[in-house]
Amino acid sequence: MSLSRQQIATDILNAHTRAQQARAYAAVSGTEQVSPPLALGASAVDHCLDGGLACGGLHEVRAGLARDIGAAAGFALGLAARAMQGDRADHVGRRGIVWVSDPAARIDGGGLFPAGLAQYGLDPSSLTLVEPGDLQGAMWAADEAAGCTGLAALIFQIKGNPARFDITATRRLMLRARGSGVLALVLRQSGGEEASAAATRWHVTTELSGADDIYQRGVGAMRLSLTLERNRAGRTGQWLLAWNPKVRVFDHAAPHPDRQPANPPAHPLDRFPPSSDRQDPPGAMGQVLDHRRDFGRAS
Amino acid sequence: MGLDQRARARGVRLGQSLSDARALAPDLDCHPAEDEETRALLFNIAAWCERYTPLVALDAAAQAGRDHGLFMDLTGCAHLLGGEAALVADLEARLHAQGFHVRLCLADTPGAAWAMARYGQGRIIAEGAHNEAILPLSLSGLRLEPALVASLGRVGLKTIGCIAHLPRAPLAARFGARLMQRLDQALSRETEAISPIMPVAELSTERRFAEPIARQEDISQVIAALAAGIIEPLERRGLGLRRCRIRLFRVDGHVSALEVQTARPLRDARMIARLFEERIAGLHDDLDMGFGFDLLRLDVVHADPFEGAQAEMMAGHSAGQGHDALVDRLGARLGLDRVQRFVLADTHIPERSFGREPVARLASHPGARRAASGAAALALLPDLSTPDAIITRPLILFDRPELMQTIAEVPDGPPLKFRWRGVSYEVARSEGPERIACEWWRDGRGARSRDYFRVEDRQGYRFWLFRHGLYGRETSEPAWYMHGLFA
Repeated sequence: MSLSRQQIATDILNAHTRAQQARAYAAVSGTEQVSPPLALGASAVDHCLDGGLACGGLHEVRAGLARDIGAAAGFALGLAARAMQGDRADHVGRRGIVWVSDPAARIDGGGLFPAGLAQYGLDPSSLTLVEPGDLQGAMWAADEAAGCTGLAALIFQIKGNPARFDITATRRLMLRARGSGVLALVLRQSGGEEASAAATRWHVTTELSGADDIYQRGVGAMRLSLTLERNRAGRTGQWLLAWNPKVRVFDHAAPHPDRQPANPPAHPLDRFPPSSDRQDPPGAMGQVLDHRRDFGRAS
Repeated sequence: MGLDQRARARGVRLGQSLSDARALAPDLDCHPAEDEETRALLFNIAAWCERYTPLVALDAAAQAGRDHGLFMDLTGCAHLLGGEAALVADLEARLHAQGFHVRLCLADTPGAAWAMARYGQGRIIAEGAHNEAILPLSLSGLRLEPALVASLGRVGLKTIGCIAHLPRAPLAARFGARLMQRLDQALSRETEAISPIMPVAELSTERRFAEPIARQEDISQVIAALAAGIIEPLERRGLGLRRCRIRLFRVDGHVSALEVQTARPLRDARMIARLFEERIAGLHDDLDMGFGFDLLRLDVVHADPFEGAQAEMMAGHSAGQGHDALVDRLGARLGLDRVQRFVLADTHIPERSFGREPVARLASHPGARRAASGAAALALLPDLSTPDAIITRPLILFDRPELMQTIAEVPDGPPLKFRWRGVSYEVARSEGPERIACEWWRDGRGARSRDYFRVEDRQGYRFWLFRHGLYGRETSEPAWYMHGLFA
């Protein structure tokens, strides 16, 4: 996971050259707008992605369980915050993030908290929240937002794997995002793996925070465990990242000493969450976590 | 109460008892009066009458349910329909076709028209002739209280002509100023304004069809043409539209209205047409076309000054692709309330500390706006310039805190174990409490404080939860709630 400085420098140089070539190509062909990739800031991840996430493209961020939504939303919002930063040339004049949520996701997914967003390094006023009454409306709104060149990022929060949001729908979303250069993210809450047109798919879970030097019992800086499950353009991998809200970059984090490395999943899909409206749900689903009824009486 | 012509022909009169009326006409079809419905019907007719003029008002007596009349101000409108006679004939024919029996009169003053329609003959009174025309009419034609008319009748004053030339002072002294006012209004000695049911649009453009249109594509095309027609007058006035309304007059008399709002002054016909297309698409076929529409009108309800150079200046950004245009389109299709932005509120209770306002409403009141600007939000929170940014607020907040079963240290320690949504968690790390007191001025006496804890469980999930009530002081069994999730 650790890379030599020289290699990182070469990577950055390569990414630059590629972006320049792409721009030159776009200028000649005059058809497609190619934006430079969006680097996460963590060198190993960017290396694996050839410089970063393709900005005009669709990416999926998946939370396996309902309680992972905090971590997954954190990753998606971190990417969006990076897309908002004006350090990339073509993003002058792009402003705002549109957050479209499927009504089903709102039921147990909660809502965004502006004070938390501000601490996370994201200006709450840059967010436009769209809450259509049904999934069809939400998909339409996401399509519209993905095609808007004045936008930095789109986050489409969806619950489960609804049949209607299929590969055709994701492909449409991807094409529109590619045409406009918007960073389109599908934030799938309690959703399983599914074939889609997304360029990358990330599975995000939470990780034990590092201990604070001052207050040993306290909760330290947050950490995310990222698994790049699918990458159309290259390798996949698994990393431990921490978000730095001050400078808005993802940093690599050292694994926590308390963490038992016992049986790490060979592949993250050891269990399938229920799909929401499919005709053929997987047989045995979920895990029995706790059946003790008498819990909590003691207090 | 009311009678139709056939009943009158059989000898039924108003004021008769129902049994007498039944004796005269055994097949009498009678229904209880429904004032509310009648008023609604009258209002619908008034809306329909706007096809002739934007100034349509309900008679004050009609609003009180005593009488059913409408006023229309046709000044400057008659020539559009081929003159006054043609307009009145058209209006009468159309209302008749809808099954209404109407009495119409066109005169110089609302008062004279009211009197002539009810008590006089002739539908169009020539200009200036109304003074003579109403003189022989009964005093009831002056829109007076029945008691006043009766007392005037007792002294022999039965027609308008009787009082028109009497000395004013004694008449006013004895019968009140109201009588003189009504007389003056009828004789155009005093002007009378009618208050239209709909606010008058700044600009209107309309298109009539010989053959009604009922296809959505046709409607979209007509809207595009109307929008194109409204650009030039907007340009001349230096305005851009903020709110506009399309009104669809169905051939059977039903009128529907669709409204769109924009976040910024807009003067682009294509964009306007597109907003309406989204608006119509958002109806999901709820627009009942019936037998088609024979008149479409585009009203500019509200317009703001618009600088021509304001259009997108950025290279590579064609107008209509920008952020504002997106917000307008989303609002037009999904409903304005569904496209929101955060606003901050002045309170520490987390779920009350912010609100979500429709973007359209925020943009239309820039002065009264309390936007959740980053600076304002950050000012409330710990300084981010320190090397370690401490995060104390979660990213995800539940709309209502969720009750949990918890084992915690007494009296005010952090939770050790808790069970939320059927799953138990063991707490590995915790920080707190952060006490947020209740708002007694809102919640009243006995409301409880909250002690918030940041908690991390053994798997690394980070939660924001609170104890509701101070142990021993406010309650002996404090409840615990889950309120948010950290990243």
